Amino acid sequence: MSDEALWANIFKQKNVVKENMFTVLKRIPVFQDLGYKELRAVERILHRRHYKRDEVIFRENEPGVGMYIIEHGKVHITVGRENKLLVLLSNGDFFGEMALILSGKRTASAIAHEETSLLGFFQPDLFNLMETNPKIGNKIMFRLSQMIAERLRLGTLENRQLKARLNVLQSELETLKKGKKE
Amino acid sequence: MESTVSRFLKIVLVVAALAAVIWLLSAIRSTIVLLVISALLAYILDPFASYLEFKGLSRTTATIIIFLALGGVVFTIFYFLVPALSHEITSLQKGLDGKTTSQLFDNIESFIKETIPLLKGQQLNLQAEMQKGIQNLAESLFAILVNLVPLFTSVIIIPFAVFFLLKDGRDMKKHLVSLVPNRYFEMTLNLLHKVDIQLGGYLRGQFLDSTIIGVLAIGALWILDVPYFVLIGIFAGLANMIPYVGPFSGAVVAIFTVLFSHGSGQEVLYVALAFLIIQLVDNVLVQPLVLARSVDLHPLTIIFAIIIGGQFFGMIGMLVAVPAAGILKVTSIEAYNSARRFNLI
Repeated sequence: MSDEALWANIFKQKNVVKENMFTVLKRIPVFQDLGYKELRAVERILHRRHYKRDEVIFRENEPGVGMYIIEHGKVHITVGRENKLLVLLSNGDFFGEMALILSGKRTASAIAHEETSLLGFFQPDLFNLMETNPKIGNKIMFRLSQMIAERLRLGTLENRQLKARLNVLQSELETLKKGKKE
Repeated sequence: MESTVSRFLKIVLVVAALAAVIWLLSAIRSTIVLLVISALLAYILDPFASYLEFKGLSRTTATIIIFLALGGVVFTIFYFLVPALSHEITSLQKGLDGKTTSQLFDNIESFIKETIPLLKGQQLNLQAEMQKGIQNLAESLFAILVNLVPLFTSVIIIPFAVFFLLKDGRDMKKHLVSLVPNRYFEMTLNLLHKVDIQLGGYLRGQFLDSTIIGVLAIGALWILDVPYFVLIGIFAGLANMIPYVGPFSGAVVAIFTVLFSHGSGQEVLYVALAFLIIQLVDNVLVQPLVLARSVDLHPLTIIFAIIIGGQFFGMIGMLVAVPAAGILKVTSIEAYNSARRFNLI
């Protein structure tokens, strides 16, 4: 509720919008290392997009170009034809960051759950930033690689745990089979 | 029933709006050409501005520095070339007065008779045949002079437009993209990026290649003391954009000019040799370095593009035709591919 009052105020005063955009950006891990001036440079290349309730932001299997940060509103991330809900994201959350590095197909769909305002950060703009302002580009790239490395680490751990569990289950199955034969 | 009427009304309105837009575009087409040329130049200069930005300057400072440097280059060129150019144009006009023409044609006639033994005994009557051609040339020269008036406004407007396009182009692009509906937004962004990658190399390469060939041709013809060397050099540079025919036509114009003025076979041989060397340098050194092979336009496409450009926009249209054809090709191919990837078609 207090959030709503705050946002209602935003559209009256331009400075408040700016400050809030910065607090939103500052919370995003990708932009964590950036100072005020650098964030302003990033702000210049962000695209602010508005979505109505139930409007599709991107669809699964379409080529992805970049990530979105939720300035305010809620977004459903879904998979499959039946739109199975994976997660509900809200203010300050971000999604689609993999597309910044890997220009492949989107692995899930994103749909606005209510009136939503997003900040889009896209690969071509990241490339331009890396060319014209490598310092900022490096900081962002480093954070991005950190996020991916962290995910890889978690994935490996999970993989290891699953393999161990699989081994246990397999040996249990074999002992069961042996028991039956005897 | 009502919906049919309103639908009909809608269609009528859309058609009327389209007609109005087309009429407006054709009415202001000379302005559009100016804008296209400015955009092309700003696009070619963009990497320089980005490089200066990378060195820590603001975009505005970078743009100002580029303009100061360009101003210096243009001033130098004009300082050295304008006296030569004006001399060339006046002598070209004098040459057309007819006092010396008969002598020139005698020169050519005897040269042709010398080189082609079959024609030795025949009466060529070149002079009468070519008199018509000269008349046409004089008329088209007059047309060019008439065209010079809008050219003067272009000289003022184009740098002005290029400056702001270079300084604010990225923000303008961002604002334009922000108008695209959500459904097509990512696709548009993707499309612009892909087109940019392909066209950037192509347009900058073409521009650089033409400039190098033009400068080389001007230098070579100046050394060989060919008259109108600046005009022919500029023509050779521009014509070089057209494959096969282009490089050849530059050489042909130079050789004809030599025939008109001196008529010496040795001179012709030197000019031909100079153009051969320039073409070798272009093919072996310049083109592999500067030309992006991603946009391969068929020679026939290029020739028709130039004719169409000339029909619609005159001289300037012919100049812009080749890059415009490249832009159209890349954009339409990428738009089609993108629309398919995004399941729109």
